[in-house]
Amino acid sequence: MSGLIAIVIAGLGTYTSRALFILALANRRIPHGVSVAMEYVGPSVLAALVVALLTAPGQGGLPGAAELVALLVATLLAWKTRNHLLTLALAMLVFWALGALL
Amino acid sequence: MTSTRQTVRRGIIDALPLFIPAIPFAFVLGVTILHAPLSALVGWSSSWVIYGGASQLTLITLLSDGAAVAAAVMAALIVNARHLMYSAALAPAFQQQPAWFRWVGSYFLIDQVFALCVLRKHLPPEEFRAYYLATGLTFWLLWCAATGLAIIIGPTIPSEWGLGFTVPVMFTALVVMGIDRWPKAAAALIAAAVTFLAADLPHRSGLLLGAAAGIVFGLLYEGSRK
Repeated sequence: MSGLIAIVIAGLGTYTSRALFILALANRRIPHGVSVAMEYVGPSVLAALVVALLTAPGQGGLPGAAELVALLVATLLAWKTRNHLLTLALAMLVFWALGALL
Repeated sequence: MTSTRQTVRRGIIDALPLFIPAIPFAFVLGVTILHAPLSALVGWSSSWVIYGGASQLTLITLLSDGAAVAAAVMAALIVNARHLMYSAALAPAFQQQPAWFRWVGSYFLIDQVFALCVLRKHLPPEEFRAYYLATGLTFWLLWCAATGLAIIIGPTIPSEWGLGFTVPVMFTALVVMGIDRWPKAAAALIAAAVTFLAADLPHRSGLLLGAAAGIVFGLLYEGSRK
């Protein structure tokens, strides 16, 4: 139930972020400070999210070596190839291979 | 009328290749929904209620992780704050459109639709509307179908494969691909470090603290350059 409520609130908030200027503020500009902050929202939130996932309660604090090496591989591949599918496939292969070896 | 039909076809053809990177994302989201404390149907409903891959994945992962509902929703909305920029950039083109399209079009304003339609904002209003609806509906149908399919075939995958790990991999790829200047890389590292240090805060609120630290660094850095 709380999951459904969370989805509905997130949905309303998301719609508002898409509609705000189109429906209500067509003649306004985004304040400079806000647009600068938004540039940094993506990298900051998503990086924080990766760490939050790796240090999830019940996983026992530090992530294992297989996870860390696989994410390092993912970082390099994403940077060099900009290909989601390739990055996902090779990082998972590294994760499985190291998991089997270690 | 033929010109409208051509515009619609053009929109669909432009949208299809841009959907390819979203396929692994839909798959990862499907796996996450299956492991979440939600019914599959409620989880899938996020595809059309929220309609934004990264924020859906953020919300549902955090809920499965035992985060407070408020913290999870907040994180998902911060992820989606970039849509304000799209809304502002397309607002002038929407001023020449009927009211119904301003309400409906806003719903379809995802990254890919913005990227395609901002290039055509000087088209005549009817053509812009046809192109926008064609790309918007194409992505929407594909996204709802792909996430639904992922939820249906997900249970056939053995849990020993550890597919939950695809989630941090996908987010890592998103972080890296979004970085075009070194200060953004620095902000990401600061956010990661602060989140790590704040990992024991209740309700997974360390995530919000870490994200705020990265954003504050960005503001301070840009402010110091003036």
